[in-house]
Amino acid sequence: MSAGTENIYLPKMAVLDRVVSEIADVKTFYWRFKDAEAQAEFKHFRPGQFAQVSLFGVGEFPTSLPPSPTEDETFFTVRQVGSCTSALHRLTPGDHFAVRGPYGNGFPMEQYYGKNLVFVAGGIGLIPLRSCIVYALNNRDKYQRIQIFHGAKTPNELMYVPNLHQWEQTPGVECYLTVDRANNGWSGNVGVVGSLFKKPGVQVPVENTIAFVCGPPIMFRFVIKDLLGMGFAERNIVSTLERYMKCGVGKCGHCCIGMAYVCVDGPVFTYEQIKRLGEDI
Amino acid sequence: MKARILRRDEVLKIVDRLRQMRYEVVAPFHGRGRDTYFDTVTDNNRDRIQIHLPNPYYPPKKFVFPHIERLMKFQRSNGDIHIEATYEQPKRAIFGIRSCDLAGIYHLDRFYLGREFRDVYYENHRKNLFLVNIVCTDPDQDIGEDCFCICTDTGPAAREIFDLQLMDLGDEFMAVAGTPAGETLFADPIFRQGTPAHIEKRRALLDQLRHSFKKQSTSWFSTTVRYISHSESLEKTWEEIGNRCFECGGCTYVCPACTCFTVSDRQIGPNEFERVRTWDACALSGFTRMAGGFNPRRAVHDRRNRRFFRKLAYYFIQRELSMACVGCGRCAAVCHGDIGMPTVVEMIRRATDEVIK
Repeated sequence: MSAGTENIYLPKMAVLDRVVSEIADVKTFYWRFKDAEAQAEFKHFRPGQFAQVSLFGVGEFPTSLPPSPTEDETFFTVRQVGSCTSALHRLTPGDHFAVRGPYGNGFPMEQYYGKNLVFVAGGIGLIPLRSCIVYALNNRDKYQRIQIFHGAKTPNELMYVPNLHQWEQTPGVECYLTVDRANNGWSGNVGVVGSLFKKPGVQVPVENTIAFVCGPPIMFRFVIKDLLGMGFAERNIVSTLERYMKCGVGKCGHCCIGMAYVCVDGPVFTYEQIKRLGEDI
Repeated sequence: MKARILRRDEVLKIVDRLRQMRYEVVAPFHGRGRDTYFDTVTDNNRDRIQIHLPNPYYPPKKFVFPHIERLMKFQRSNGDIHIEATYEQPKRAIFGIRSCDLAGIYHLDRFYLGREFRDVYYENHRKNLFLVNIVCTDPDQDIGEDCFCICTDTGPAAREIFDLQLMDLGDEFMAVAGTPAGETLFADPIFRQGTPAHIEKRRALLDQLRHSFKKQSTSWFSTTVRYISHSESLEKTWEEIGNRCFECGGCTYVCPACTCFTVSDRQIGPNEFERVRTWDACALSGFTRMAGGFNPRRAVHDRRNRRFFRKLAYYFIQRELSMACVGCGRCAAVCHGDIGMPTVVEMIRRATDEVIK
């Protein structure tokens, strides 16, 4: 046994409380650590950080932390894609898995005090941004205008619908939704997320503003183009990157791009930094 | 630095002393042909330990960072799961480690222990490791076609990290203690005081050795580090390098300074699983492929670029205060496409020179 050095690879036991289905293949898993102390310690995470989730005998995967540290519950929202996420999707309330983290830099929300916040999320890109949005709303007096733009392929694929309804009705929050293809009596906007910026009545503040952009690569590229066109400085556009990862603590080497380890130097980067990393997003 | 002199025929007594001190001693041996390897010393093979021989293709890195290592076990019982971290803390000595491989261990120390997160598994292997360095002095045996430690400034005589360093002066060996642990060995009567003549002989021999290296490209290395760090290397060169890569991962497998690993779970009993880590290689396309299939590093030359950038960019050299290339030449020796480090350094230097000069 080693004395002194903490084992950075050792996860702690967690128990699944309940599962909520978000959209096809995407569910939200509410969980807590078995150990109350571990739970209390974990709660100090920052929006934009991530955790490593262990499924025994299957493996470990990194995932965003969609809750805000200002909320009580801890949860992950995960799309079923590979072996680990499928194993998580098979769990039922009461089942055990393990978690370690939080890891990464997170969004420097304190540095953004006094600024306008513009959130642009495509599809499940809203998962990491949900944390910042809720954090900003719970610290409403610290920020100026708050705008949320969320786009999905169809109305059935809008994320966190109860939250969206709530944000739409919150005074002082401008929440705009759009879908690529309308159905089910959708009366809202149809088009890509960027189309919302040009809608009558929508005015995106550029001065003193931080734009958060998360979504699929194609959406990311177009939104960046739109924002730069509006006059946003590259350093005022922030996003979080995803990479294949094994350790989460800068050792395994998988997520290393350019001069950065996404796990420890990121996953939050400004567009100015992302451009210099020199890899596909 | 304390130094002593000992007789040639008494050098292996150091191995005996270490074994008496309950160290598992590993040392280099001859296999068939060019093949050489590190193995645990026993009463039976003790006399076959080689002082001068071509450096084994597999570096002694595996003694601090094993190919496969169990990190933890998961046991399921009565609906509950128990997680148990599994540690190994051997008391081991490496006799006859070359200066390049010593620099490799130095780099691993910097990488696994010198940053924000310390790797406890590496630390356990490293904690009780006793290192006996042998200076490469035999131009025919020790210094191979591909050796270039004079370019990376890691040899032929290491300046630090060893507990004890041995150098063949002909009839006698000079022993230098690098740590208090190494110095305690000097209590043994096989060691005696040296004279200024011994020091002079060592210096003269090291001077002469510099000319025994086949690759004499010191300036190329630093120039290439500068080009890569300033993003002046050309995409075209990386494509050429990529075209020659067979994607076998051999270069990373023999590298004493490569650190990447992958982690996987496997079942070892009806209700028992283990989590192991194994070496991984950035040359392989699956290295960056995410669940769902998206791979940000698609082309071979992107992956080649990655490996050399990681090793040669000034940013990373500064980050670890150590370069992830130690001049051992193994990648050059095993590469089927002849794109080992010395070739790549030369290709980049030449191609970039043509454009910017």
